[in-house]
Amino acid sequence: MAIRSKTFRESYYEDIKLFQTIWIKFWTVVFVIGLVLLPFFGDPYFVYLVNLSCIATVAALGLNILTGFTGQISLGHAAFLAIGAYTAANLVQRLGTPFWVNLPAAGIAAAIAGALVGIPCLRLKGLYLAMATMAFGVLVEYMVITWDGLTGGVRGMSMPAVSIVGYSLDSDEAKYFFLLSVTGLMLAAADNIMRTRIGRAFVAIRDRDVAAEAIGVNLTRYKMLSFAISSFYAGVAGALYAYTLNYIHPEHFTLLLSIQYIAMIIVGGMGSIIGTVFGGVFIVVTPEFIKMFAQALGNVVPAIAGRYDEEWNIAAFGLLIMLFLIFEPGGLYALWNRVKVGFRNWPFTYWG
Amino acid sequence: MKSQKKRVAVWGVAILLGLLVAGWCAADERGVTKDKITLGLVLVKTGPVAALGLPNGQGMVDYMNYLNEKGGINGRKIEVIWEDDQFEAPKSVAAVKKLIHRDNVLTILTTGGTNQTVANLDTINKSKIVNIPNALADEFFKPLQPYIFAMGATYEAQYQCIVDYIAQDMKMKDPRIGVVYAKKEYGKKGLDAIKERAAKYNIPVVAELVLPTGAVDASSQVLALQKENANIVITCDVLPPVITFLKTAQKYDYRPVVFGFNWATDDALVKACGEAAKNYIGVNFVGAWNDETPGIKLCRELAKKNDRQIQLTSLYVNGVGVAWLFGEAMKRAGQNLNPDSLKAAMETLSNYDTGGIFPPVNYSPSSHAPAEMVKFFKADVPNGKLVPITEWRKPK
Repeated sequence: MAIRSKTFRESYYEDIKLFQTIWIKFWTVVFVIGLVLLPFFGDPYFVYLVNLSCIATVAALGLNILTGFTGQISLGHAAFLAIGAYTAANLVQRLGTPFWVNLPAAGIAAAIAGALVGIPCLRLKGLYLAMATMAFGVLVEYMVITWDGLTGGVRGMSMPAVSIVGYSLDSDEAKYFFLLSVTGLMLAAADNIMRTRIGRAFVAIRDRDVAAEAIGVNLTRYKMLSFAISSFYAGVAGALYAYTLNYIHPEHFTLLLSIQYIAMIIVGGMGSIIGTVFGGVFIVVTPEFIKMFAQALGNVVPAIAGRYDEEWNIAAFGLLIMLFLIFEPGGLYALWNRVKVGFRNWPFTYWG
Repeated sequence: MKSQKKRVAVWGVAILLGLLVAGWCAADERGVTKDKITLGLVLVKTGPVAALGLPNGQGMVDYMNYLNEKGGINGRKIEVIWEDDQFEAPKSVAAVKKLIHRDNVLTILTTGGTNQTVANLDTINKSKIVNIPNALADEFFKPLQPYIFAMGATYEAQYQCIVDYIAQDMKMKDPRIGVVYAKKEYGKKGLDAIKERAAKYNIPVVAELVLPTGAVDASSQVLALQKENANIVITCDVLPPVITFLKTAQKYDYRPVVFGFNWATDDALVKACGEAAKNYIGVNFVGAWNDETPGIKLCRELAKKNDRQIQLTSLYVNGVGVAWLFGEAMKRAGQNLNPDSLKAAMETLSNYDTGGIFPPVNYSPSSHAPAEMVKFFKADVPNGKLVPITEWRKPK
């Protein structure tokens, strides 16, 4: 009998198993327990940041499915969030439907819009696709501002908190558990989609669409499906956003937000589910670190004390994206993998 | 083996419960110690509208420091922690949470503009944040919001006053109003208020034109207004686009009487436009920078002392005024200072005089409504400043 070493795989099914080793399962369980206990240790502000990370992760996951896995760039992701958010808000205010109707409805509304955008975008690639999706984003932004009756226009719309069997989730901690569950579900779903026929078709399209078509991937169908799934995620994220902030306004869903999501998947790792989580958390948490750093620096260098403002973050993001693109195009996920491999092969480590 | 597992589980639960209880007990009086009061402030510092937030916040900080120099409030020194929200509601929400939970502030002087305050409404009520928003919307005081104290005059009231002025003070023959507005809340509210009021006086509104906030040219708007023979133009736009409009109008030799609301009524406009501002009349709910009232004199002294290079003086005045009200309320709240006593003290301000900064301030337990009063100012081009042409007045 051959001696099995590390993650030696004998069949294709073993290769696509979600939990490759008992240790991965173990650490996942530890991580989940840690997450569940988190609100008991962190202050509400910290919990709020984690909440934002959850929403960012769901939205970025959608974009990663489209851009990272299928290779279709989109600068209109914020528009799908807007569609989701306003769908949920309208359902709550007009029909008073519960969250388990609103979340999927928001996703489906965005998915329909996504599939429709997908049709004209089938023939477009690269820069042209970026322009087309951006135009869609601008269109939706305009619509949200102008269509007063449906969106409240520039006044915005308020949104009550999620209510589960009469209990309103209006504290940050309550929202946290809600967001964590939904994010967990969405992550699991994405991971599973990606290891099925659909996911492999997406990756084939990304790597070479002509070749994919030659081996029997229906480009029209799968590109549209990718747009739809991606938008579904964005729509759900939009609804979650509305539920978390309890208020939505056209200014939340601008081109800048779309670019932020692109930054998230670049920093996190294109075409990686776990990388998306890294990216989502990273983008939300980094400003806090920059703030702490600026304060610490201010204590040492009095000239800098009190000088911190939001511009520092924007500058830092720009720098970070540049550094990542130059030194680690695979993002945090690649970095994580390298560290992991390094530890695994220690002491015969090659930090290549 | 089994009993050991059990023991670990029991200990785990016990530690967890202990931590929870400790967390609850640790909560004490927010932001007030024996010799210090910590206050929060959320106002835009950077981004496209930084010019609005900076002088406003500087006015508040300078006045609080001025109080500190005079010995503080009942022996306590004041510290202000200023968070930048870039005028975006999500950032304001985050900043408010940080100030309450991390910095443990007594209250937050202002949580930003209308959108930000609406987005924070839930937290404001739950955490009892006594605040004066730096914008004004009906829902801040109708119905009563227990912790929001509205200041100034609503956009509706300001534009009603303007149309009243046109109809009753100017006595112009055949007035024809053109409206230039931004697709923002103030723009739409202003437009509606003007149309409604003008209809009451039978004054025709001959044009409604959008001028975006970032506009660098207003040729199409000016030409359209000229074509409609509008001899009065009411702008529902902030300072930069109004400056653009006035300069463009001058280029086309179009000289209507131009009106503007509080965010466009500032000495900066006269300085930037020069001769083009000759026919400009603005309304504001704070006194002008060159008034000789004690409050405004103090504003000028504070700005000079702190070496502030202020472009929008009316906002600095507003900031000093807001801090003044908080200072007075904290004084009245006495030694036992907390959000509830601060709120109660605010509600005792009756016909309170801020030395010409604001119209007389009136709050009570049943009403936190603003004065809804404005003064009219006219550009004094040679001296580059605004001069008052009316007393405080309300919509008729």
